[in-house]
Amino acid sequence: MIVCVAVVGYQNNPLYIQSFTDADDALKLHHIVHCSLDVVDERVNNPKKSGPPLNETFLGLLYPTENYKVYGYLTNTKVKFILVTTDLDVRDADVRNFFKRFHAVYVDAVSNPFHVPGKKITSRTFAERVSTIVKSFGLSSAG
Amino acid sequence: MIGVGKIKQYSNVLDKPLSKGKQEVSLSAFAFLFSELVQYNQTQVDNIAELERRLEDAGYAVGARVLELLCHRDKGNRRETRLLGILSFVHSTVWKVLFGKVADSLEKGTEHEDEYMISEKELLVNKFISTPKDMGTFNCGAFVAGIVRGVLDSAGFPAVVTAHFVPMEGQQRPRTTILIKFAEEVLQREARLG
Repeated sequence: MIVCVAVVGYQNNPLYIQSFTDADDALKLHHIVHCSLDVVDERVNNPKKSGPPLNETFLGLLYPTENYKVYGYLTNTKVKFILVTTDLDVRDADVRNFFKRFHAVYVDAVSNPFHVPGKKITSRTFAERVSTIVKSFGLSSAG
Repeated sequence: MIGVGKIKQYSNVLDKPLSKGKQEVSLSAFAFLFSELVQYNQTQVDNIAELERRLEDAGYAVGARVLELLCHRDKGNRRETRLLGILSFVHSTVWKVLFGKVADSLEKGTEHEDEYMISEKELLVNKFISTPKDMGTFNCGAFVAGIVRGVLDSAGFPAVVTAHFVPMEGQQRPRTTILIKFAEEVLQREARLG
């Protein structure tokens, strides 16, 4: 179950945060996303010798909290995608696939000539497509 | 066995799958659009420097989006962190997508450490443009310079990019050179990465 997805910009400013459950407090999710940004910066600036190569886009599991797992993905323009999920047995390939599709939708949203880079993404099409992807993520990993 | 491997015949043209289409845009359409862009900007400004700046800003927006698109489409999972990497990316991939061919040459400047040049015999955007003498050294390649600046800036390599005419002997039209001057922090980071 995906709880929340977030797009964070170049200067760590939030561009898009959307939560998909009503139960949880939106503020808490904001806080989790914010904390995970530190982990992203740490991964990018201090590459572990045994970790993924310096220029890999998918960052993997950032950190597990009490009942959430947080995954990160970094695009070429330092825009970060954060995924917060409550699933316990999420496969790596599923998350990669999710981020790939998410990246495609993000590129479409940014290609809009009326979108100002650095401002929040306000496109309704983007929001609809993201919720479609989130729903299909839940179904595909249920098997 | 008879029939296996035969190409499927479609009885109705509506049943044929849609082709992806040619990934090309007509040059004349682009030339008209670009000339309108230049003319529109010309009415809004009163000096050459401002006109160049406007064209460059237009190119910057294109460059930022092109980088996002290309990285998602072509580059798979890699980010460019090295200077030479991003330069060769601009020089081949970006040029190929935008202009259908790779740029003519990529050179390192001799006077300064932070200068690089991409040269092109005839920029596609300048193909149907001849600037009048009283505009001096104005080059519509400022649009392309803006695109390059957009790509570099969004990838984390801030730079100042300008377009210049370089006269060549034996040729009627001068060669165009895009001069890229990287910011100080880029060089420091590059030195740190080794």
